[in-house]
Amino acid sequence: MIIDSRTMESAEEEEMLGQDSEEDSELSDDELQEAFAKGLLKPGMNVLVDKPKKFVNNLEGLKQCLAGFRKELPWVERLDMTNLPAEDVISKAEGKVPSVANGDVNADDDFQREMFFYRQAQATVLDALPLLNKHGIATKRPDDYFAEMAKSDQHMQKIRKKLISKQLILEKSEKAKKLREQRKFGKKVQIEVIQKRQKEKKAMMTSVKKYQKGMTDKLDFLEGDKKKGKDSAQGPKKAANKKGLNAKRKYKEQRFGFGGKKSGKKWNTKESHNDVSSFRAKVANAKGGKGGKKGGKQNKRPGKSVRKKIKSRS
Amino acid sequence: MSAFKRKRGGQASVNKKAKKAKFVVDKAEAPLEAEQEKKNEVTIPPPVSLGKWTNKERVLIFSSRGINFRTRHLMQDLRTLMPHSKADTKMDRKDKLFIVNEVCEIKNCNKCLFFEAKKKQDLYMWISNSPHGPSAKFLVQNIHTLAELKMTGNCLKGSRPLLSFDPKFDKEPHFALLKELFIQTFSTPRYHPKSQPFVDHVFTFTIADNRIWFRNYQIIEEDASLVEIGPRLVLNLIKIFQGSFGGPTLFENPEFKSPNMHRREIRLAAAARVREKQMVKEMQKTKRTEAKQEVAKDVTADVFLTPAEEKAVHIQTEAPAPKVTKKNKHKAFKRQRMARR
Repeated sequence: MIIDSRTMESAEEEEMLGQDSEEDSELSDDELQEAFAKGLLKPGMNVLVDKPKKFVNNLEGLKQCLAGFRKELPWVERLDMTNLPAEDVISKAEGKVPSVANGDVNADDDFQREMFFYRQAQATVLDALPLLNKHGIATKRPDDYFAEMAKSDQHMQKIRKKLISKQLILEKSEKAKKLREQRKFGKKVQIEVIQKRQKEKKAMMTSVKKYQKGMTDKLDFLEGDKKKGKDSAQGPKKAANKKGLNAKRKYKEQRFGFGGKKSGKKWNTKESHNDVSSFRAKVANAKGGKGGKKGGKQNKRPGKSVRKKIKSRS
Repeated sequence: MSAFKRKRGGQASVNKKAKKAKFVVDKAEAPLEAEQEKKNEVTIPPPVSLGKWTNKERVLIFSSRGINFRTRHLMQDLRTLMPHSKADTKMDRKDKLFIVNEVCEIKNCNKCLFFEAKKKQDLYMWISNSPHGPSAKFLVQNIHTLAELKMTGNCLKGSRPLLSFDPKFDKEPHFALLKELFIQTFSTPRYHPKSQPFVDHVFTFTIADNRIWFRNYQIIEEDASLVEIGPRLVLNLIKIFQGSFGGPTLFENPEFKSPNMHRREIRLAAAARVREKQMVKEMQKTKRTEAKQEVAKDVTADVFLTPAEEKAVHIQTEAPAPKVTKKNKHKAFKRQRMARR
């Protein structure tokens, strides 16, 4: 059974009227015995507990006080308004239904809370302006009205500087980001363009050289990339030669390119042993072969006199 | 000058220097060179003191000792924003609170904002109506002053504010009383000699999370675009008293937790956590060092036993016969053997 210490006290008051409270605790053995005899206590474990604290809320007193304290002033003196926050135009435009009833704002959500206060002030201003106009109180001061402000001009300068610096920092970071992106993309493009140009240059140079040496007497390369397979015999042969050259070039490059001889290149490995790509059945099985260089005349450089003739002719 | 003769004496006329420039319209006196005040005769509205200042409200703003810089700046800001305020020196902590009433009387103020700092950490604010009226005590939190660079607005010094209240203030009687107290304290009286005739900022009082949030916004445009000027306050109501700085308690906030209790709770929680960890450690230790019971029989020993037939025990009495070893086996080499295979 839980005894309320304060009710105990009041119950025992009559018994203890004349007694000195020598004991520290309010409930001494005698008192407990008396209470038990009375029937206030039951056998078993009795625990002493404090009454839960009652908070004062004197409604009548508050109302009386307010009535006595209130000053009946015209609105012009007080300039007070009571209103709910103005409509949240932005969230309405986005189609969001305000999840929170107008009365309750979540104090922990900073942005929402500040917007709530802001809108409340806005509503006040919107409601109060017509009233102020009616009473002839201005809210806009003329441009040439100079008076002392709550914050000094120096301070406002500081604020302005800070805002500007913040903006600058933002702009700089944006620019840097863009530049980074551009650079990545631009590098790619640049490489491609350079390579293309080099290729073109090379092609031009080779064709010019060929013309100079008399291998071709056409000036097609000047006109650009107009491909004319005139000599069909030349064509495939050229292609074959090109491939052969490529293969030879490849082989040479493999042996000597990028640093020259590498160790172990003279040994046969499984792959090199099994590699039969350089086997030409035609060449291997050909008996006798061609009679010397029959087609070699095409590759052969004409003699001095012939060259002179060609030069003088063109 | 007759309209502005103050019954109080010299002090007022010194203050009036700043305002003299306004009276060129009707006085035709050479305007004094107050550095920041110039005037264009034609366009300003009629000067402030063409009307009579009837609503005699004066607020005394001061503090006890032991306040920190933020509180000091806050007080200064409030004094700047409220032209009907007066300052006083710091009050000694050992004086009882009702002495504040006497100070108010000396200064001829009928409202008082008293800031009390405890432990150099907690700031309490008393707001009271001086001789008989009600008073309230708040715990102040989240102070941001005018000087913060994020508060970009500005207003005329001494201009009259609009006051904006949450509708919740009308719902409870204690809030209604507080609202009346705020209105009378914070609104600048009309035609106060130090006030400016324009209304260009608005104070908002909102109730959220059982606290009163105070904000101050500058009105930029007539379409209600606002910028915050500061300062910012959060007031946590503790008690409302019937008298000024004393008297019977009218209201006590049940949800108020004193900052000491708050800190104590945090400390206790931390201590409790540490104690729990220690207890767990100790338990583990005792478990480890406990004498382990000897298990006589292995329960799992019989799992793999497969009962088999018993063999007859055969005792060898004679030595076993020696093995015959062959020599010289003509074996071919291993390789040849493998090849043959």
